[in-house]
Amino acid sequence: MYIMGIGLVFAGGFGIEQLERVLESPWQRPAADSKGIFSYQVDLAAIRDKGVLKGLRRSDKFSKMSVLAAADAVSCSGLGGLDGKRTGLILATAFGPHVTTFGFLDDILDYGDANVSPSKFSNSVHNAAASYIAESLNIQGPTLTITNFMTSFHSALQLARLWLDSGSCDYVLAGVADQYGEVLRYVYDNKLMPAPDGMIRPFNLNPAYQVPGEGAVFFLLCKEPGGKILCKVGTISIGDDGADGGKTSDVSIIDTDGMLPDESPYRASFSDSPLAAYSPLFGSMMIGSAFNCAVGALMLKRQEYYANPVWENPHGLKLLDKTGASGIESIRCIRYDCNREKAVIYLNKG
Amino acid sequence: MKESVLITGVGVISAAGGNLAESLDSLADGRRNAGQVTLFQTPLDRPVFEVAQIPDKFLMEGRRTAGLAMCAVDEALRNARLEGVLSALRVGVCMGTTVASQLNDIDFYSTFRREGSAPLTAVERYLDGNLASFIAKRIGANGPKMTVVNACSSGTDAIGVALSWLRGGLCDIAIAGGADELNRVPYCGFNSLGIVSHEMCAPFDRDRRGLNLGEGAGVLILETMNSARRRGITSGLQLTGYGSAADAYHLTAPRPDGAGLKKAIARALDESGIEPSIASGKISFINAHGTATHDNDKVEGRVILELFGKGIKMVSTKGCTGHTLGAAGGIEAVFAAAGLRAGWVPGTTGFKTFDEEIGISPVSGKTAISGAYALSTSLAFGGNNSVIVLRTTD
Amino acid sequence: MMQNNKSEELAQIRKSLKEMLVKDLSLEDINPADIKDDEVLFGEGLGLDSLDAVEIVVLLQRNFSIEIKDMDKGKEIFYSIDTLANYVYDNKK
Repeated sequence: MYIMGIGLVFAGGFGIEQLERVLESPWQRPAADSKGIFSYQVDLAAIRDKGVLKGLRRSDKFSKMSVLAAADAVSCSGLGGLDGKRTGLILATAFGPHVTTFGFLDDILDYGDANVSPSKFSNSVHNAAASYIAESLNIQGPTLTITNFMTSFHSALQLARLWLDSGSCDYVLAGVADQYGEVLRYVYDNKLMPAPDGMIRPFNLNPAYQVPGEGAVFFLLCKEPGGKILCKVGTISIGDDGADGGKTSDVSIIDTDGMLPDESPYRASFSDSPLAAYSPLFGSMMIGSAFNCAVGALMLKRQEYYANPVWENPHGLKLLDKTGASGIESIRCIRYDCNREKAVIYLNKG
Repeated sequence: MKESVLITGVGVISAAGGNLAESLDSLADGRRNAGQVTLFQTPLDRPVFEVAQIPDKFLMEGRRTAGLAMCAVDEALRNARLEGVLSALRVGVCMGTTVASQLNDIDFYSTFRREGSAPLTAVERYLDGNLASFIAKRIGANGPKMTVVNACSSGTDAIGVALSWLRGGLCDIAIAGGADELNRVPYCGFNSLGIVSHEMCAPFDRDRRGLNLGEGAGVLILETMNSARRRGITSGLQLTGYGSAADAYHLTAPRPDGAGLKKAIARALDESGIEPSIASGKISFINAHGTATHDNDKVEGRVILELFGKGIKMVSTKGCTGHTLGAAGGIEAVFAAAGLRAGWVPGTTGFKTFDEEIGISPVSGKTAISGAYALSTSLAFGGNNSVIVLRTTD
Repeated sequence: MMQNNKSEELAQIRKSLKEMLVKDLSLEDINPADIKDDEVLFGEGLGLDSLDAVEIVVLLQRNFSIEIKDMDKGKEIFYSIDTLANYVYDNKK
């Protein structure tokens, strides 16, 4: 399975060229609100090229981020659109459009059961975003929305491969989306350790500090490389340590971002390959793996290492300390969930 | 044509009954166990189909959907002679739902917005309650897990995903279907869309006025032929195909020309090795989505008529279960399997009058069937269309 | 005098409706003041659809305490700004 295009929307901006600029710049503290609370929030108003959102007037931020990222992945691939192509769509999310769901609960509480907004309800269902993507990009293949908390992205990628291998689709647009919100913020700050200075410290392990983020990333995938590709997707394993191919790779990207209060389980996955972690660029999200994979794919395409944004290393772990051009063959992306189950994605040079 | 898998167990719970035998009884008699909402407070008075009783061992505070799911899973595992042996096998769990995936606890949110803080009990239950993961943990299944949140086609899509897993070698056995509890949030939401009937629903009826919401769970145990052989299990029921296609049209309205549903049916038939031109001769019946909304029944009925002709036996079981949202595809897959095995389908309870605009009537009384195949169709909110094909070899 | 009052009130209702539709239906790039009184709401006019129709039902309930019980009648009521305004004038509480 090959990655032909990547589209993303994150606090740092829109598109992989912007992602590259952010990767090549020194780490910047995320924005804080008037109470000094940090978060990584997407500024949709700052995105100029929003033509694809025309006609989606009712959609909420969750759906808008999803549509922008999905369209961008197609555009990035150079495929020239999806009309007439057998394309499937998988959107993975941890929490879905929860901000709109709470907005709908506001309606119930403020106006009563008989006076709630049908548009708000329609946008509050988990699969609304996928419906908007299918409509905007004219995707008429199988479309699925799935939720698996921290392994949402891995499950989506695994299924995409099955669809491509079986010939159900010639292309699959697989991606993730999650949104920041006040309620979720409250939950995170009570159950996890908020970073008091806005800095996620991916190599601290314990305690692990979080700064909530939001965004969407989509990958346009194909079975055989017919045109431009960014990289190849190798083994995808969830909860199967045996499948973590000898743990060899040129770099291991770990999804440490404070979404587990104690990230010590990651130690079991360490090997000779140096470690990298890019969550300080995106924020803490259960779907963070997808963003880290986007960085991995870029590294393989450009054949260039990107520096760790945050270097604090109290345990003296072997960190990626190279930058710039280099021969990179494979990258291993690792996530542990709250059951200590490991999920791994291998990306290889295309 | 693609590889078929065996259906070695089924389990179901809904307002029609607490297990398959009870459900078939209700369906045969056209019994409608519906009434006013009792599960939560609401000024709305649309009739609903609540499950009469969840067995004590599956009653869990704040986890009604999981309880319904576990009840159906339990029946299916017993059916398939899989109780207590899962950890030694590669077993996946793929479940569709809508309500259980949403953080929508009204009490929690109401306190939070009033006071800026709230006890996190409901949230913790939610974070610990991803439906597929929860079930997998309870039963000791250690294969792939996925929760599908595709609105009304979630259950059918979950079955389709499980079929992919088995064909792709990710597991040997999969528990697949859907579950959803009756919940105030979708109750208010669907009502606001103007598609909930004030009376008992009438699928495909000329005078239909909308759906009734329901709750329940339905699961299939899907198994590769090799796995069943190793376990010494046989089954005369198979899942032969799955097809899914998006309308790419509108958030809430189905595509008027039914192009998405036609594509989904074509794909499912193709996977099953059924030539479209002779399909109607091989298909004993179709368990239709048949929600009794004006738009769904019109689009779906016309597509079925166009593809299979007036003689096809079409049934909607929602007259006895209500529309169970994420559970519907799972429940209806079980009913389709049961129909094939038993050689009859129930009448479409609630249907009385032929609708010229649709052009085809569903079966209206208990009807004998013949033919090796059956279809179950689901049309989702958001425009996804999903279809499974089942086969009997008995 | 009465006619003037009715006329003024209808004008006010039309203005409120236009603002309500633009704001609550998220109509993009449309200035309420530019919407014609006889503008057809659905199809070729403002281009509203079935989801907007049910949203308008709720907006009428919330803003004018008007309940539309029969959606079949809705097609006539929702035909244009004028027909909607007249209905609101006749039925508001």
